Amino acid sequence: MQPCRKAPQPGSRDIEAQLIRRACEGDGRAVRALYDRYSPRVYAVVRRIAGDDDLAEDYAQEAWIRAIRALPTFRGEARFSTWLHRIAVNSALQAVRKEKTRRKREAPLPDVIPVPPRMGDTLMQRKLEEALAKLPDGMRKVLILHDVEGYTHEEIGTALGVTSGTSKSQLFKARAKMRRMLKGYENETHPKEIEAWSV
Amino acid sequence: MERLNLEQLARLVDERPTPEERAVLEGDPATRRELDAMRSQTEALRTLPAVLPPPGGWHELEKKLSQAGLIFGPRNSNHLWRKWLQVAAALVIFIGGTALGWVTGSSPDGLSVAGVPSEPATIEEARAAVEEEWEQYWAAFTGLKQMVSAQGPTDRPSGDPTARLAAVEALMAASHAAVEQSPGDQFMNEVWVRSFAERDQIIRDFTADWR
Repeated sequence: MQPCRKAPQPGSRDIEAQLIRRACEGDGRAVRALYDRYSPRVYAVVRRIAGDDDLAEDYAQEAWIRAIRALPTFRGEARFSTWLHRIAVNSALQAVRKEKTRRKREAPLPDVIPVPPRMGDTLMQRKLEEALAKLPDGMRKVLILHDVEGYTHEEIGTALGVTSGTSKSQLFKARAKMRRMLKGYENETHPKEIEAWSV
Repeated sequence: MERLNLEQLARLVDERPTPEERAVLEGDPATRRELDAMRSQTEALRTLPAVLPPPGGWHELEKKLSQAGLIFGPRNSNHLWRKWLQVAAALVIFIGGTALGWVTGSSPDGLSVAGVPSEPATIEEARAAVEEEWEQYWAAFTGLKQMVSAQGPTDRPSGDPTARLAAVEALMAASHAAVEQSPGDQFMNEVWVRSFAERDQIIRDFTADWR
C-alpha cells in the first residue's frame, strides 16, 4: 500500500489537504468531514445512474469505500472532488452492469424505474428527474455523463466501453426523447405551471 | 430540407449548423423555438442540484469502513477523551492536594504556596484560602476570556482544525454530562455553551473554505 501524501502546512486553503491526509491515515473524523461535504454530489450522480433510490444508497456507499481505499493513490493532480466523482461514476456504472446481469438471471425487469419525488425539488427539477429515469439505460448513462456531469464523448467512451461516435449518437437520441417527454408534460400541465418550468 | 427533426436539433445544441440547416432555422420560427427549448433543457440538466443522501448513511458507511479497517474513528476519539479525563484528573488532584496541604499544614515539596498562608491554623482558614485562590483563578479566567473575545470572531486559531474539532467535541460532551448532573452549575453551563458555539464555528469555517 502506498503511503499517504504529506499535507501542506495548516492554512485556511489547505484544510482539505489536511483532511485528505488524515482520512488516508484512517482518521474517521476526517473521512466524516469529507463525506459531509461531498456526499450530496456523489449520491446525486450515483442515483441518476442507478435510477433507483435503494440501489443508489448501496452504490454510493460502495463508491465511498473504494475512494477511501484508493486515497493513497490520490496525487493531488486533479481536484479531490473530480477524482472522487470519477470513482463514484465508475463504481456506479460497474454496479449497474452487475445488477443488470443479476436481474437478467433472476427475472427480467424493464429499464424504466420511476424516481419518487423529493421534498424541495422544484416542479421542473422533478420533471427532469422523472424523464431522466424513464430513458433507456444506455441513453440515460450517456445523457447524465455528458449533460449533467460534463464528461466528453471520449471520456464517456472509455467509461462505458463504446466509441465516441456511439456516445454522440446516444446523446442526441436521449435529448430528443427527453424533449418529447417534457413536451408531453407541458401539454398535461396547467399554463401557470408551465411558466415555472418550461424548457 | 423541410424541417429538422429532434435528433438533428439535439446535435445543434453542441455543433454548428450546416448551411442547409441554417437555412431551415432562418426560415422557420417554430424550428428555432424548438432548438431554443432543446438548449434550455440541456442547460437545466447541467444545473440539476445535488441530492442529499438518506439520513443515517454515514453511520452505515462508518461501520463498513471500520470493518474494512479503513478508519479508526472510535479509537482516536477514545484516545482524546482519555487525554481530557487525564487533564481533568490532574486538575482535581492539584486543587485537592493544595487544599489538603493547607489543611494539614504541609506542602509536598516543602515550599509554601505564594500569596497563601503556608500554615492555616483552622479548617475555616484553609477554606478561606481555597476560596480566595478560586476567586483569583476565576478573575484570571474572565480576563483571558475577554482578551480572546476582543480578538474578534475572524481571528481564528491556526492549528490543526480536525484535532481542534475533536478536542472541542470532547469538551462539549464532558460539560454536557456535567450540566446534566448539576443543571445549576454556572461554570459548566458556560463551558458547555461556549464549546457548542466553538464547534459550530469550526464547522462553519470548514464549509466556508469549501464554498
